[in-house]
Amino acid sequence: MHFHKPISLDEAIALLAGDAGAMPLAGGATLVAMMNAELIEPNALVSLGAIDELKAVKSAAGGDVRIGAMVSHTELATSEQLVGGHAVVRRAASLIAHPTVRNIGTIGGAVAHGDPSSDLLPALVAADAVIEAAGSAGRRDIAAEDFFEDYLTTTLAEGEVVAAVRLPKSPVGATGVYEKFTRVHGDYATLSVAVMLAMKGGNCSFVRIALGAAGPKPIRVKAAEALLIGSELDGEAIAAASQLLAEASDPVDDVRGSADYRLILVPRLLSRALANARSQVEGAA
Amino acid sequence: MSGEVDITLMVNGEEQVLSVPASRTLLAALRDDLELTGTKNACSQGVCGACTVLVDGMQVNACLLLAVNTDGCKITTIEGLGEGGKLSVVQQAFVDSGAIQCGFCMSGMIVSATALLAENPNPSRDEIRQALSGNLCRCSGYVRVVNAVLLASERRGA
Repeated sequence: MHFHKPISLDEAIALLAGDAGAMPLAGGATLVAMMNAELIEPNALVSLGAIDELKAVKSAAGGDVRIGAMVSHTELATSEQLVGGHAVVRRAASLIAHPTVRNIGTIGGAVAHGDPSSDLLPALVAADAVIEAAGSAGRRDIAAEDFFEDYLTTTLAEGEVVAAVRLPKSPVGATGVYEKFTRVHGDYATLSVAVMLAMKGGNCSFVRIALGAAGPKPIRVKAAEALLIGSELDGEAIAAASQLLAEASDPVDDVRGSADYRLILVPRLLSRALANARSQVEGAA
Repeated sequence: MSGEVDITLMVNGEEQVLSVPASRTLLAALRDDLELTGTKNACSQGVCGACTVLVDGMQVNACLLLAVNTDGCKITTIEGLGEGGKLSVVQQAFVDSGAIQCGFCMSGMIVSATALLAENPNPSRDEIRQALSGNLCRCSGYVRVVNAVLLASERRGA
């Protein structure tokens, strides 16, 4: 196996374009584990670890936040820039696996891997994130909602890498919460719910919801959000929204829970997430 | 670069120059090339924590890092925690608390505990459990492990 550690993204892209058997290496938390399990045997690895432009979290004047692909889960989990609605990303990152893994894994790696059980994926959809991809054809932006297509399948083209994740300005007064159900601390979610919420005069004025581990990609249903907006987040509205989300879900049976059990969790975790988010925005008001 | 790659690691304060295949993990380099077998190999998936070491002071799973990708880094393993042939405060606290059963997970536990106390000298039981959540003990003796970290914290403060 060949190993490259370029210092610029352009150089990395050229190396990947020149070798169809080469793979980009972010933190390695998943890629090296897959190599250890002999699931993949790359001809070459192009480490993105020495490229400075991928390592920063930058807040822009308009309230946008740009997170470089090589920012680790630990850095996200402790970032003071992820406030308001963007806290959904911070909180999701803080629940990924364990400290040892969070110090290694990166947002770019998690996004490119596209595992629907990953904590960051639903959080990014709830934050309406934009994925910045870079390849030999140039750079392009893809909405997180469109980026994830299926199990471990994204819209990234051959030779393209994730350069950054951009979070657009979150609504004034919004908060972001992430509810995750696991049987064992640090495991992948049996089901998770990412929520960005704002309230006005006791009614929901803004909400975006995405489910994790509920199907082949993060599950978002705009009609469910429409049922909640303008409501007092009463039990009836939450039950109706949960119903739509559960109908759009397509979970699997696995060691972390049956598909039926995951669907039973949808209204419970959504209620908890909304109550938690509501107490935060009303406590802050 | 192909075949063997030359790298330099600062391991437990000593400079080590190695020639390794690019696919070799840091764990394999430590155990097989440097014969530092205190760091254990179990799951090779970043799940069990038996291979926990410090890379530039950060607790990480050595099985998830390629040795070539840690070129130039400062590595601390269980062998590097004590000084002058004496156990470190954390190691001694684990012994005195009876935290060690079969011992296989202990290198990782002690390295994680060392990283925690460097950052947070007075952790609560909950903070200790979270910091060591990536270290599995199949003897399931977690209570005395937490006691040991608290004892180490007290002794360091004394």
